[in-house]
Amino acid sequence: MNAILHAQQLTKHYPGSVALDHVDFAAVAGESIAIIGPSGSGKTTLLHCLAGILRPDAGTVTLTSAAGPIRLDSLGDGALSRLRREEFGFVFQQGMLLPELTALENVALALMLNGTDRTTSEARAAEWLAALGLAGMEQRKLGELSGGQVQRVAIARAQVTGARIVFADEPTGALDSATSNEVLDVLLHSVAANGRTLLVVTHDPNVAARCQRVVELRDGRIVADTGRAVPSPSQPSSPSQPAPAATDFKGAFNV
Amino acid sequence: MSSLALALRLTPYLSRSSSLRQTGLQQTKLRDAGLPILAFGTVTALLLTVAGGSQVFWSWSDDIAGTYQALAVVAMVLLVIPLLTLGASAARLAARRRDDRLASLRLLGASSATVVWMTVIESTLLAAIGAVAGAGLYACAAPFLGLIQFRGQAISGHAWLSVPSILGCILAVCVLAAASAALGLRKVVLTPLGVRTRQKTEGAHWVRGLIAAVVVVFGVVAMGMLSSFGAFMVIIAVMGGCFGLALLALNLMGPWVLRLQASSQLKRAKRPEQLLAARTVLESPKESWRQVGGVAMTSFVGVFVGVGMAVADTMGGSASDETTLLVRDINTGVMITLLGSFLMVACSAGVNQAAAVLDRASTLVALDRVGMPQKLMVAARVKAVMSPLLLVAGISAAAAAALVLPLVGPALLTRPVVFLTVGGVFAAGFLLVRLALAAGTAQISQVLARPERYASMDS
Repeated sequence: MNAILHAQQLTKHYPGSVALDHVDFAAVAGESIAIIGPSGSGKTTLLHCLAGILRPDAGTVTLTSAAGPIRLDSLGDGALSRLRREEFGFVFQQGMLLPELTALENVALALMLNGTDRTTSEARAAEWLAALGLAGMEQRKLGELSGGQVQRVAIARAQVTGARIVFADEPTGALDSATSNEVLDVLLHSVAANGRTLLVVTHDPNVAARCQRVVELRDGRIVADTGRAVPSPSQPSSPSQPAPAATDFKGAFNV
Repeated sequence: MSSLALALRLTPYLSRSSSLRQTGLQQTKLRDAGLPILAFGTVTALLLTVAGGSQVFWSWSDDIAGTYQALAVVAMVLLVIPLLTLGASAARLAARRRDDRLASLRLLGASSATVVWMTVIESTLLAAIGAVAGAGLYACAAPFLGLIQFRGQAISGHAWLSVPSILGCILAVCVLAAASAALGLRKVVLTPLGVRTRQKTEGAHWVRGLIAAVVVVFGVVAMGMLSSFGAFMVIIAVMGGCFGLALLALNLMGPWVLRLQASSQLKRAKRPEQLLAARTVLESPKESWRQVGGVAMTSFVGVFVGVGMAVADTMGGSASDETTLLVRDINTGVMITLLGSFLMVACSAGVNQAAAVLDRASTLVALDRVGMPQKLMVAARVKAVMSPLLLVAGISAAAAAALVLPLVGPALLTRPVVFLTVGGVFAAGFLLVRLALAAGTAQISQVLARPERYASMDS
């Protein structure tokens, strides 16, 4: 199996605690991986180190690219920014979208940062928003959207550039269970349909159950790493809801 | 329990609970307290200096005293109005970050009166601390102020204001802070949920532009009829009133002009930093105006300074000793007015830029997450501030020229020294704002170096 992202002996300290304790981790292209564990176990720290947001105190993080392996832990800020624009997408619990931009502009911005002209960016952003059930809401500000709708905007922004890896930190943490299921459906189906790798930090076992693989952390160490057989993305999350076909997303985007 | 009693109980509690935040502690304190105190201190020090420096003119009663008094009124209006605007802006700066917390209190059931009292108490306290510090600064500056010469003599002890005057100034700054903070709370009181969810952006209605235009036109007409007002003191009062109202009108119109310009720029934006800059201004035209309003005021002052220098220039050839002294004193006065104006711009730009970066810290972190290079973030910020500068400075200078034209006539107004002065004032004002932006850029680097501190500062 080819690992798209590989971490070795990751270590990160905070004053008075060890957030990551010599962690080894690898993600294969196209996998959906849930990182679970109790509060303070190091889940978010691991995610941030893998995404290049945090520098580990020791250890290496390597991204496999067409140009060869890239050591994230030794990149400068400029190179990391480029990675975040081109290779990574992020979905956070609080969205981290820009409140002064419309839904459309928030998604288009990711493409514009890669040099795509505004007209094309907004057209592609509109396609993504429509595919995620937000047609007609492009001009709304974030304050005019529900929590679930905001997260769909974040999911669109994370993938519109064709990012190979999507990092999600408690993407459904602030949502009720029904909305959580909807958002999770959208996230998993869109990621799978485009062959992307998904790393999602969660404390919710229902979210973990929907992923192909579950990695459990405790006190900064991986205590379990289980590849699990899970329902394929085409199976509905609840019997009453027909699942969107995986091709629905793939057909809509030429990424 | 009365609203005031409840407010007195809650205000220290909320101030203490915000200081317990582990992340961004120093920066939160700086933004929420340090910057407003600095602004209030500067306003008070400059107000006292202007009042102290000009009170000597009212101790003279000979024939030429009236000329000095008229010029003093003009200079005071040109300085005091912008200073009061800066003070009101500082009060809004202090209150704005509390809007979210106060909106939450309203949603929890706190009455409007309680929320208003809490804001008034906090803003007044910050203003009082700043004003007392400013009075101390004035006391240090007064001996040097006394060395300035008018009519061939140092103003000496006239530079010192009486204790009741100083206390009166401190009280005025506190009242200004309280009133500005309370007025700015209308939105929180009326639509707390709207504030919390940021559903609507701050508007800048076209009526502002209409009122400003009417005021300037009224001022131009009044200036043209000055000689018909009879008594000299009435003429001085009308003149001062016209200049003051025009400055206030510019302050009223400014956000609307910025909104128009940003709307146009949004349509034409092709690059990410252009899109962000336009949306930043549109999100809050009033806040954007606070970034550039100081330069607009100084441009207004610049026209008067230029005209003053042109007047001095034309009088310079006269052989009369009294006239020679007057010319020298006009030059002294315009330099002091200009210096005071630039100090105000420096304070306004510095305080508002520092606050702007801290305010947008979580947005900066969000942009960093999506891969926006820091240089683009800086470019967006610079564009959001510098882009409207030329427009607002130009409008202000044009308004000042329209007002002063009936007084001095076109020949004097179009002398090269006027254009040179106005150009110099533009350049210096732009430079001060640009320097403040550069200082803010260093702050951006600090924010991005420790993003975990700022990721949730808005919550």
